[in-house]
Amino acid sequence: MTRTLRLLLLCWALCLTGGVARAQPPEPSARVVIVSSDTAVAYAQAAQAVVDTLVRQGVARSDISQVFASELVLRQQSGLPLCPAVCVALGSEATRVLLAGPVKSPVVSALIPRRSFERLLRSSGKAGSALVSAIYLDQPLARQLALVRLALPQARRLAVVLGPESSAFAANLRVVAAAHEMSLQDVTVNNLDDLAESLPQLLAQSDVLLALADPLVFNSSTIQNILLSSFRARVPMVAFSPAYVRAGALLALYTTPVQAGQQAAEVVLGILRGRPLPDRVMEPNDFEVGVNTQVARSLGWSFDVDVLRQALRRQERLP
Amino acid sequence: MTCVSWLGVAQGKISENNQNDWNAMWPTSPAIARARTLLYAAVLTAGGLLALAPALAQDVTSVSENDFLSDMPIVLSVSRLPQRLDETPGAVTILDRDMIRRSGARDVADLMRLVPGFRISNAFESVAPQVGYHGIFGRYSNRVELLVDGRSAYSPFFIGSIAPGLQTVALEDIERIEVLRGSNSAAYGARAFLGVINIVTRHTADSLGARGAVTTGENGIHDALASVGWGVGSGSFRLSVDRRADEGLEGAYDRNSVSRVNFRSDLYPAPGHEVQLRLGALNLDAGRGQPNWALDPQRPFGFDSAYAQLDYKLALSSEEDVAFKLSHSQERYREEFPVGLLNLCPGLKDPYKAACFQAFTPSDFYSVNADGRASSNAVSVQYTQRHSNTLRSVLGGEYRSERIVSAPLYNTSAAFDTEFLRLFGNLEWRLAPDWLLNAGALAEKSSVTGNTLAPRLMMNWHLAPGHTLRAGVSRAFRPPSTYEKFADRQFDVPLLGVQVDTQATGQTVPETLLAKEVGYLGDFSAWGVAVDVRLFQERFDKLIDIRSGRIGKDYANNPAFDLQGAEYQVKWQPWQGAQIIFNQTWIDNSHSAPGDDEINAATPRRASSLAYFQQLPGQLDLTLLHSENSAMGLVADHILQPRRRTDLRLAKAMRWGARRGEVALVVQNLGSAYADFKREHLFQKQAFITLRLED
Repeated sequence: MTRTLRLLLLCWALCLTGGVARAQPPEPSARVVIVSSDTAVAYAQAAQAVVDTLVRQGVARSDISQVFASELVLRQQSGLPLCPAVCVALGSEATRVLLAGPVKSPVVSALIPRRSFERLLRSSGKAGSALVSAIYLDQPLARQLALVRLALPQARRLAVVLGPESSAFAANLRVVAAAHEMSLQDVTVNNLDDLAESLPQLLAQSDVLLALADPLVFNSSTIQNILLSSFRARVPMVAFSPAYVRAGALLALYTTPVQAGQQAAEVVLGILRGRPLPDRVMEPNDFEVGVNTQVARSLGWSFDVDVLRQALRRQERLP
Repeated sequence: MTCVSWLGVAQGKISENNQNDWNAMWPTSPAIARARTLLYAAVLTAGGLLALAPALAQDVTSVSENDFLSDMPIVLSVSRLPQRLDETPGAVTILDRDMIRRSGARDVADLMRLVPGFRISNAFESVAPQVGYHGIFGRYSNRVELLVDGRSAYSPFFIGSIAPGLQTVALEDIERIEVLRGSNSAAYGARAFLGVINIVTRHTADSLGARGAVTTGENGIHDALASVGWGVGSGSFRLSVDRRADEGLEGAYDRNSVSRVNFRSDLYPAPGHEVQLRLGALNLDAGRGQPNWALDPQRPFGFDSAYAQLDYKLALSSEEDVAFKLSHSQERYREEFPVGLLNLCPGLKDPYKAACFQAFTPSDFYSVNADGRASSNAVSVQYTQRHSNTLRSVLGGEYRSERIVSAPLYNTSAAFDTEFLRLFGNLEWRLAPDWLLNAGALAEKSSVTGNTLAPRLMMNWHLAPGHTLRAGVSRAFRPPSTYEKFADRQFDVPLLGVQVDTQATGQTVPETLLAKEVGYLGDFSAWGVAVDVRLFQERFDKLIDIRSGRIGKDYANNPAFDLQGAEYQVKWQPWQGAQIIFNQTWIDNSHSAPGDDEINAATPRRASSLAYFQQLPGQLDLTLLHSENSAMGLVADHILQPRRRTDLRLAKAMRWGARRGEVALVVQNLGSAYADFKREHLFQKQAFITLRLED
């Protein structure tokens, strides 16, 4: 209840700031422009984290402006530079709109999965641009497997259901799994019938199910069958968002919008201080481990998420 | 955040970066979410259930931040997460699918040998093979409840029995059997007086494709099964047809067959909603009686049953869900045979024998009939809520109506209707991280026998990781069944006129059980050993028993007596591919009666079973099962006999591409024959071969 109340208050506050942005085009003098894909809470949380981090590091609030992707058109029509110093694109739509026009100053894209960013970069013809970079929302495979090894040391057979989007990770996944002394049991499905047929057999040969985002495989319609099947087979699911933990996955590894915003702000600060934009995309450098304690208890396990998170950070030598 | 994004999905609105979907991420008050959920549930149940299914298919889209940030429906809601074995309010033994297959058993009753404290009979003399916990106490298995996927398969005919229900589903369709040892009336009602056998069938999503099995062997064993599973959209289905047949025990009626068809469907009309429909029918053609006994001649009988069951589960939030169940079942028993009066004469002493031969001719006979029908309808609702990490509650109610019609058993063609109303609740309270209290009770109101209340209190203490002590007390009642209360069985005998066989005076009161137990569960994983111990003291009072009355037989209550003892199970994985399961039960039965003490004789002082499962090279699989008990009475014979039985199974798994199969040789009772049910009925050594194929 308290959590819901806090979120309501946060939404209210963020809606007000969003309302200001909607009423007026961004200040032409603002050096940092944060472009949100739309009004959803996740973007608002990330935007607020960018602002807070920048202000904490001495950037004047007046140097930061916020705008929705749909409003960028106004700015484009006015002929003013979109990003006087640097633009932060939050989400796919914001990134798409920014990449649609000429990019003359650095663009940092955040809250965006790897596949979405690569696709937008290709379709905009700016794949070679040194002015565009991204902080991915998806966790590196090595980190995900490290979590599986830490939390479930007995699990050696890793099941993965790949779809049209996630199948690109198959080769890399095999290498990373081998490096973590795990054997990979994977199936690639192209439709829901494939999923229904292959899942029971896959689970029968596996110790843990790693979920990789792919809307054909994992969506609000399929999750019921997948989670129930995995629970019946006593093969726990390790997923990629806290929503899956609430739904019934045992564990999840994810970066929150606030963490993504903070990391984007660090990159922006570097640019403002004269450092070049990192020439490659960045993995998220902060993350959370979520656990469904009731599922864990029912399966006979207990986890301390802070211990797991710290252990992962130590392994990656993150501060 | 309580979110209802699945509402958007149900309406087919999800697409990449869809504004409506994002709006669903905005916080919604739990009350509004619940109201919407309930409203949606009402719409669904009102009839749009299946019609909506095609609309649920989500657009295939590219991955976006939506996939990482959107909310998901609650799937493993609170009631889907079963209690761990070391947190249940009582002793539980689980027979899983693998163990069932590797046991070589051909029906559920035979499997119960692997459960501590259970005793079985393979005879069809009381309709079907029987099981009983701590002694059968009578000729029918009527003091243990049987649930098949949550539906009571307890037959109300005769004095009540789960024996025909145990034949409801093919072993191949069973995922696992959970046996709750000891009284569970506090959760499942009067019929769970001494425990519950909970059969969980395989989920249809886990049994897609075609399967078949054929068994043939000695003693006329011919079993066959065909099953097909398929999926359509968000639902999956299974249809199984099977038959098991053999020539039964030596000396008994020589043809027993069970034919059945079962259909199960699992539908997910919308995220968070689950609908299951089950239909099935059973035909049992068997026989009973003894050769050369005019009053109990060998004769055939038939038992037919059918059921329909509809389940609807709804997750209201991650902390609460509700389940509705609607079921109907009906059964018909067919048995009629003539008793030739001339056949009675050889058993008489002179001068009556001579007079008898003179008085009757071959055409003098009377008919013994036990035909009848029973049906039941039940509706139940169960609400499960997790109030906090330390408190979970289950509340529910059930209304059940049962009708029995049998002119031969009740001397009237009028129907006997009984209505039951059950209200139950259980509180699972974690007093401290290592202390769990389960407090529950079930109040039952019967339109015929009045009100009873069965409470239970159980404390589980995790004294160390992997080690749990359990102690508790429960009280149970079993009111007399319709037959025990209203039986009126008469035969119209030539010359002698109407003779009363059984006439219940209806004076019996509910039998009671006060059970105290201490349990221990130990997991010594370093040695591959798991231990389950139960020490019990069960005080039975007013146990209902049949005895000779003033006119015919009557049912009456017995004086109180105690069973006390211990049972344990040790599971050990001594080396690679091996598992040993050793059970032992000691029971001290204080019942004493002059002459033959049937109740005392029903419980062996010691019963043991040993199961050894070994995987061998070359895809071979070996099973050795041995069970034995000290002298005890047979179900319908007071002769005291020890019993030993050893079974062997050797199987080889096969694979052709994606197809899998197995061929298995089973030899049951490698040793000498033993008497079962009656001294004349012998369980002989029998061997059979099973071939299984799976697509």
